[in-house]
Amino acid sequence: MIDTESANRKFEKELKSGTAALLLLGVLSEAGRPMYGYQITKEIEAAAARQGSMHIFRQGALYPVLRSMEKSGILRSEIEPSASGPPRRYYSMTEEGRGILGDWQVTWQSTRDLVDGILKGNDDV
Amino acid sequence: MSDMINEYLNSLDKALSGADPATRRDARTDAEEHLRSALDAASMESPGSPEDELVRGIIEEYGTPEEVADAYRRIEKYSTPVLARGKTNGDRTAAARFFGVLVDPRAYAAMFYMFFSLVTGIVYFTWAVTGLSLSAGFAVLIFGIPFFALFLLSVQGLMLVEGRIIEALSGIRMPRRPVASEKGLGIWRKFVSLFKDKRTWTSILYMVLQLFFGIVYFTVTVTLLALSVSFILRPFLEYTFGLPMMHIDGIDYWTPGWFMPFMVLLGIALLIATLHAARGMMRLHGRWAKYMLVR
Repeated sequence: MIDTESANRKFEKELKSGTAALLLLGVLSEAGRPMYGYQITKEIEAAAARQGSMHIFRQGALYPVLRSMEKSGILRSEIEPSASGPPRRYYSMTEEGRGILGDWQVTWQSTRDLVDGILKGNDDV
Repeated sequence: MSDMINEYLNSLDKALSGADPATRRDARTDAEEHLRSALDAASMESPGSPEDELVRGIIEEYGTPEEVADAYRRIEKYSTPVLARGKTNGDRTAAARFFGVLVDPRAYAAMFYMFFSLVTGIVYFTWAVTGLSLSAGFAVLIFGIPFFALFLLSVQGLMLVEGRIIEALSGIRMPRRPVASEKGLGIWRKFVSLFKDKRTWTSILYMVLQLFFGIVYFTVTVTLLALSVSFILRPFLEYTFGLPMMHIDGIDYWTPGWFMPFMVLLGIALLIATLHAARGMMRLHGRWAKYMLVR
């Protein structure tokens, strides 16, 4: 008897860690303006609500991804004081980030097509 | 107010124990920024609902401290600064290790820092000493305390920049931004917390001592560099330009012909050794800076 729940959790976790960066880049590119972490997570939540899908992303797990993308030069950030509470870090895309988003979209589409194609094949059986 | 947020931040910090202090601080500032922004937005949306309930919901969406800590650990594993990549492993031959420094970008970055630290050393020393003495002098005047507060803030800002420089050049992780002070503290309380922070004072000490280190680094590097270049260029200096090795009491000393090739080789070896020395000093300095500026 396999532990379904932990198998599901593992699958979700791996899927999430693979797609978080693409999702964040997509949100920033769509917005076209610098955003801080909370705004980005709100945006993802709203998109999930529109689709009627559940949002599987833990908001806290997105921040380290933002930081690592900044380190590798895909994003840049600026700290601005906020009227309430601690200063906020605004992230925006760099030129290189734009190019990378293009590459990633191609990879994502072909991966999705492949997975969809195979899953559809299974349905017919 | 929002004790739950502070509680959460503390357990996040505990969940990250053993991780790099800079990562822990990143995680803490990110979480604090998010939770407080979310709380603001939530209490605007539904005024009147109990704060604890709002915070509980926000934290649930943010993730448990363990989940979030896990995410930071995962990222930290493969996000060392650019120059820190490609750490050498110890199984190479001695020759490979000796000459390998020539292709190590960190060695050249360290060399740059060795020169640069004289300038920053002078600036930091002047800034710290001027700031402290003016603050002492102004203490009896009405703007004494605001002046002192501004000085402490400037120290925090300057040392953040120094940390970024050292991280870029040595690969040792340093904090990315100032610690956000707690929300809702008045200006006075903020000042007191800055004043009581041990790091403020070690930062000032670092600024003062940086002049000493800057002079040492600069002198050692320039001397070694000048020596090795003069060894390497010896054949040209002596045969082409007729400049002797030494000139003491009217007597010229020349390099014996048979020794000339060894002179050049010695120069090259010394040049490589200089790169090693710069890299080593940078590594030690990075650790020192981390101790003084982060802890």
